[in-house]
Amino acid sequence: MSIKLFELLLQAAIYTVTISVVSILIGFAIAVIVSAMLLSRQRLLALQARIFISFFRGVPLLVQLLLIYNLLPAIGLNVPSIVAAIIGLSLCTAAYQAENLRGGFSSVPAGLVESAEMVGMTPVQIFRRIKAPIALRLTFPALVNEAILILKASSLVSVVGVIELTRMAQDLAGSTFLPLEIFASAGLIYLVINWIVALAGGLIERSLPGVPR
Amino acid sequence: MKAHSLLKGLVGAAFLIGAAVSAHAADTLATVKAAGTLKVGTETAFAPFDYIDAGEHTGLNVDLFAEIGKELGVKIEWVALPWDGVFPALEAGKFDVVAGPATITKKRLERYRFTPPIAEATIAILKKAGDATISKPEDIAGKKIGVGKATAQLDQLKEFSETLPTKVDVREYPAFTESYADLAAGRIAGVANSLPNIAFVASQRKGTFEVVLPPFGKKSYFGFIGLKDADHAPLMDAIDAAMLKIKADGRMAELQKKWFGASFDTPDAVKDPAF
Repeated sequence: MSIKLFELLLQAAIYTVTISVVSILIGFAIAVIVSAMLLSRQRLLALQARIFISFFRGVPLLVQLLLIYNLLPAIGLNVPSIVAAIIGLSLCTAAYQAENLRGGFSSVPAGLVESAEMVGMTPVQIFRRIKAPIALRLTFPALVNEAILILKASSLVSVVGVIELTRMAQDLAGSTFLPLEIFASAGLIYLVINWIVALAGGLIERSLPGVPR
Repeated sequence: MKAHSLLKGLVGAAFLIGAAVSAHAADTLATVKAAGTLKVGTETAFAPFDYIDAGEHTGLNVDLFAEIGKELGVKIEWVALPWDGVFPALEAGKFDVVAGPATITKKRLERYRFTPPIAEATIAILKKAGDATISKPEDIAGKKIGVGKATAQLDQLKEFSETLPTKVDVREYPAFTESYADLAAGRIAGVANSLPNIAFVASQRKGTFEVVLPPFGKKSYFGFIGLKDADHAPLMDAIDAAMLKIKADGRMAELQKKWFGASFDTPDAVKDPAF
């Protein structure tokens, strides 16, 4: 396999990483809102959040991508391939991340919150100093896991016309008849990317407050 | 009560979608000219029409649409999808026309509009070089033959298979390139595709593949595909006119020679395909 082919795979890998990182970040922002709705005392808000999660966790990502790409134009939103891919990945990961966050927040010991109330902390202070740090600490490993899952799931977005790492590998294997070398290289690139994500995640986790050393 | 209001909501939503769709109705030629870009959908795994050569999108379609773009005074923007996703996306308005190309068939003519043909599409078999067990099309009886999913070649292969003493073991692939790879790896005995495609593949890989002659089935042609509705009529008329001009001044024959090794006669329009 030539250097040129490997370079093409690396370029496609940049696409894979960009789409995944953008989707994870947008997904996290949505997940914060959805998990807040889930934990809200207003039942209608919680119900809407439940429906959102059921849909995006219950329908395969491949089907979601095809729906977003082919159905949005029917309501006048004809988004380009790359945008459809990011919307699909973001909404899907948001559903999973919202569940993770909900789990994190509901695992904050009630006794801690009560003690904070006793010493006269305001709800905002309790959130900032007690709830958020503990919940973040509890959900962080799941977030790293989700980032790795999305990096791998991004191999599906070629169905809406984005040429990412997997699709580039397929195209190159088809035109060069070197499937073994090309898919092995693509696998190696995925492995290195995800290894870096896991490593960085571990480093950040150790720097989070309240971590036993 | 609850079910009733849910139903009302659904009906309301359906109306909204309908209204949005009709609000979007517009002359696509005007839209394309205003944007300065013609969006063309295709699958980049159909050499020599559209394929990736060391990372570059290339082929007859790329050259031909460059000429069409010049005639219309617009730029060409390519959208590459898996083949079975191309038609749904065309109907969803993700692009203005499909390069493909696709075999012009009766069924497709009912739903889509075709440009003037760009090549003959009659089906033939590609085999591994030196495979003595296949010397004529009938020899594929009982053998594993690869073909593209959702293609006209698949229909023709199945029809041909019915005429044989033992049926062909048809293997469907998302893209033809994958079937060529499996043929090279010895997982299947042959690939059924249109003659220009397999002739090109065989010429690229002389020691690996060979074409089984003659082609079989009914004579057919390849054309580009667009939507049949009134909105798309001016655009499709303009593309047809551009292509006929390109054909008349010899540019089409030149491109055919470049990509197929020979130019061939095609009718200006196919109104009544053989199948």
